[in-house]
Amino acid sequence: MNTTPSIDDLLEGLIFAISDDIIPSLGDAKAYATAAMMQSVLQEIRQLLPVFDAYLVDEHNGMTRTLRDAAAALGDASGEAADHVRERASTLGQWSDLPAPPDREATTAAHRALGEALVATMLDLDVLQRAGDTRADAALDVVRGHFGPRYLRDVATVLVGAGMLGRG
Amino acid sequence: MEDKLIEFLLGTFPDAEEIFIEEVAPIPGGFSRETYRFDARVRWADREELLPFILRKDPPKEAAILNTSRAIEHDLIEAIRLHTTVPVSRSYGYEMDPGVFGEPAMVIARMHGNGSTSDLFNGGPDEHQVDDVVRHLCEVLVELHSADISKIDAAGVLGDPRNVGIDTSSWDRYMDSTFDYYLDSYPSMDYDPGVAIMLDSFLTLRRQKPRPMRLSLVHGDFNPANFLYANGRVTALIDWENSRIGDPREDLGWMTTMDILSNTSVMSHPRDEGGFLAYYNKLTGLDITAEEVDYFTLFGTANIAVPVQAAIARRVAGEHRQFLHLYLIQASSATIPNLARMLNYPGVS
Repeated sequence: MNTTPSIDDLLEGLIFAISDDIIPSLGDAKAYATAAMMQSVLQEIRQLLPVFDAYLVDEHNGMTRTLRDAAAALGDASGEAADHVRERASTLGQWSDLPAPPDREATTAAHRALGEALVATMLDLDVLQRAGDTRADAALDVVRGHFGPRYLRDVATVLVGAGMLGRG
Repeated sequence: MEDKLIEFLLGTFPDAEEIFIEEVAPIPGGFSRETYRFDARVRWADREELLPFILRKDPPKEAAILNTSRAIEHDLIEAIRLHTTVPVSRSYGYEMDPGVFGEPAMVIARMHGNGSTSDLFNGGPDEHQVDDVVRHLCEVLVELHSADISKIDAAGVLGDPRNVGIDTSSWDRYMDSTFDYYLDSYPSMDYDPGVAIMLDSFLTLRRQKPRPMRLSLVHGDFNPANFLYANGRVTALIDWENSRIGDPREDLGWMTTMDILSNTSVMSHPRDEGGFLAYYNKLTGLDITAEEVDYFTLFGTANIAVPVQAAIARRVAGEHRQFLHLYLIQASSATIPNLARMLNYPGVS
């Protein structure tokens, strides 16, 4: 998938568009308030996205630890309620810690560097193809074989509806 | 804006005693120009007329997708109107001074006919007209491609209206100089390595030139949204800003692409003639093959993709904050599987 523009760039674009193209045309107070709330929620999503996966894992691991620690703090307390706490500590509390998600910025930078290397490879292969080296045709097929399924997956992921908006 | 329009029209109708502007409203859609509809009530000494118009205005420079001239578009439309029977709106003139309408603009007649061409397809209310309308559309395109370039382009400006070094002195020079333009432009549109399929298509086009053909006037944005129709006939071909001298197969290729993007099926009609290409070949005798249309689908896509992707790249780089350009990333992605198919990408059929 393309890493530029990022999901954050798209969300920021929506916030700008609401300010620049929608709010100036709104005459209704409720519509104005809704537009402002939409901007606020979009900004919330921008703030959530970079940390969501990391927080999810961090909290998952924290909750299993908390279940165990809470049971330990009960000591030898008796009764049905205390047994329930110990039972949770011995089941859910024993789940393995999840690994931290990869650093998104580093992954994106590496993805871009590899993409640029494939673009440079295409240019080099063209030089060989124009010189009549048919082995470069096979090499280009390898590069296309990487991009083809990837493009199909990307398009299936991003496309919405049938047909371009605003075209007759 | 009303006062400026009155002033403009008084220059066009010097004998008018009074002009009133009514019903000014933006026309949604159309990605490269800002368009407004309006009526002008023109009062002469002996009569009064209500004339329907369209104001076509350039967008702000940094957000522009195609940097073309309204003056050239005006001259072209008027030449087509005077020298052919291709249905076009009359152009009443242009104002290149951005101080008047905010940006350079032109005023054209608003033609009758339905511009919601999706009504012709997919069970739309005018589906019964589709064969007749597309038959006429094909005949109109053939006439356009047969027009005498020396009459239509007396000033010689349509060979390279983007001023990017296109040479129309021969078909070979036209193709080679266009490949140079595409490849030289790639760095300006390379906002993400995922755009690599465009580079691949430019390089492939250069390696696989088809047979030569006589250069023609091409519409340059011949697509399912750029005509009006009524009663089974095309009433106007519209949006001439990308028109230029080129290979006639470009218009066929671009319509093929835009049929996919627009979820229409112009190229499948008229059915009794075996589709658009078969009818075009019958009228012209050019025997254009499906493979050639595929080639020019790539070529025509490249011609539009260069300015569109460059405009997207300027948006991504933060040079402006028009939302349209972000939407175009999504909208234009629909064409990628077709490009990949034409380039024989493994795993794409």
